[in-house]
Amino acid sequence: MSLSLKDHRVNRTADRGPESGKPLQHTSRRGSQRGGSSIDVQRKKLLVPFVGPAFVLYTVLFIVPALGAVWISLHKWAGSGPMKFVGLDNYGRIFRDQLFISSFGNTLLLLFVVGAAIFILAFALTLVLRDMAGKKIARNVIFFPHLINALVFGVLAGFIFNPGGMVNSLLAPLGVTDPPKWLAQDNIFPLIMVTLVCTTTGYFTTILMAGVDRIPPYYYEDCALAGATAFQRLRYVILPLTWDVFGTCAVLWTISSVKIFEIVWVFGGSSGAGVPPTQSWTAAVYTYVNAFSGQSTPAYGAATASAVLSLALISVLVVLLRRAMRRDAVEF
Amino acid sequence: MTEVELLVPAKSIRRRGRRGVSPALRGERNVVRGAGVALLWLVVVISIAALVWMVAQAFRDTRSILDDPWGVPTSLDFGNFVRAWTVGDFAVATWNSLLTTVVSSVLTVAIAAPCSYYLSRVDNRLTRGLSLYFILGLGIPAQVILIPLFVMLNKVYLTDSIIGLNLVYIGVSMPFTVFLLTAFFRSLPLEMEEAAALDGTTAFGTFWRITLPLAKGGILTAFILQVISHWNETLLALTLLQSTEKYTLPVALISFVQQQTYSGADWGGLFAGLVIVVLPMLIIYVWLGRRLTEGLTLGMGK
Repeated sequence: MSLSLKDHRVNRTADRGPESGKPLQHTSRRGSQRGGSSIDVQRKKLLVPFVGPAFVLYTVLFIVPALGAVWISLHKWAGSGPMKFVGLDNYGRIFRDQLFISSFGNTLLLLFVVGAAIFILAFALTLVLRDMAGKKIARNVIFFPHLINALVFGVLAGFIFNPGGMVNSLLAPLGVTDPPKWLAQDNIFPLIMVTLVCTTTGYFTTILMAGVDRIPPYYYEDCALAGATAFQRLRYVILPLTWDVFGTCAVLWTISSVKIFEIVWVFGGSSGAGVPPTQSWTAAVYTYVNAFSGQSTPAYGAATASAVLSLALISVLVVLLRRAMRRDAVEF
Repeated sequence: MTEVELLVPAKSIRRRGRRGVSPALRGERNVVRGAGVALLWLVVVISIAALVWMVAQAFRDTRSILDDPWGVPTSLDFGNFVRAWTVGDFAVATWNSLLTTVVSSVLTVAIAAPCSYYLSRVDNRLTRGLSLYFILGLGIPAQVILIPLFVMLNKVYLTDSIIGLNLVYIGVSMPFTVFLLTAFFRSLPLEMEEAAALDGTTAFGTFWRITLPLAKGGILTAFILQVISHWNETLLALTLLQSTEKYTLPVALISFVQQQTYSGADWGGLFAGLVIVVLPMLIIYVWLGRRLTEGLTLGMGK
């Protein structure tokens, strides 16, 4: 995203450069390099009052805790009492912990499998929606789940997949007398994955559509005149022109999928002690349970180590994505 | 595709043209497409039906919900809401959520707007570095800062406190809000600011009297996006709040779900709780929907 911000700025400067009829504007934008007009000098004095509060709040409440997490992950600590420096031991420990491996594996499943499903569906929907009658209504409806707390879907799923619930009552007339135990501990995570695909696709469809809608119609007209097939139009017009939007979506999904917590926490109505069955844990749930569940001594070191690994996963993927998506943005 | 088929769209130009859209914009009509459209409308209908169904169930008592989940309420019975409101502590939780959401969203935007303005108008190495510094936060998931934040706030007695939660929400929302508003301020024309500067307005005056009024739309969008994310935020609230009278709605909902494991399912009350969580979002969406999707898609897509 940083890159795109910069691009934006470059574009603007480039746009405005040739307009020699507006020298003032040019000066004020580049004021810093040319000594600046009085307003620029004045404006610069606003650094502390304008940027200060945001900078302090953000640093104290976000960056410092993030660095603190790295620090805590190098210690053995139960939250109170002395911290014992153990170096990278916590990381070694969680990698030997079967529970962490399965939780992290679930996070990867969400990231890649659910991600792939969402992208394929969202792109297909975008192509269908592009020139459909009533596309605005359809688009507005499928976007709405994004605004709902994922808890709601978790609770509803518990009701719908109950043994005497709606799904089974729908299946009964079809001759399914012995429906699967939907909410058995092993089945919960696949159900979560399906639910997430259903509730998240709409959001990404909306973003992709914003990209596709930017393509000027004369490209399609040109395609029609040149006799391009639907596939060729997709391959040589739509995909290249929406490539950057795809990149943004991939980054967004990477970040948001690693955070997934609420829906797992309540899916199907929680079982007994208030902690979901371990088969459905994600890395975020692992972190929370190890630190705050109150079931055993809090292991802050291992919990933060798991969180820091999630952050590392995001960083690596975002860097890779940026690299993979790096091609000259097509100007149009 | 054979040549004969290729001629078809060209032939039908005039006929389709009547509908006002260029024929090239229309997709080919084929079976796959038809199926896709049908499927999409099915999804749309199911989504709306699910929402209506959820609201309807909130007006029925638990036994009739379980007996016939497809049924409709026979009368407008607010019993579930009353019970959720009183027994489930949703009254306090709703108030807490409302207070936290509004206060933290207003402050977030009030603090982020001047910062974004500065970052968008002054272009030097420092501001570029600062922009990057703020964007960094977009990639840090909440579970990373969870434990250190809890430890820090505990030291200054701000855990289990609405004030503490507000502070956390403001800090955590900075990256996105600054990012969105910086992009927005950049898109505003500079002419008016320059005219004001020529007339001798101070730098602060230009921001306050010229840019802010111009930026009303973008600021409202940023505000509403914060309202939505703070209203729904769960993980941080669950960690930082311990006593029932401090719970926000999502935390109260979780604790309500967990009580059911012991006291038997009160689906009526639960549906009422879900409706209380979802309905404000629906109202905001219906009211300001276009602005929201534009803010989310343009803010992130650019």
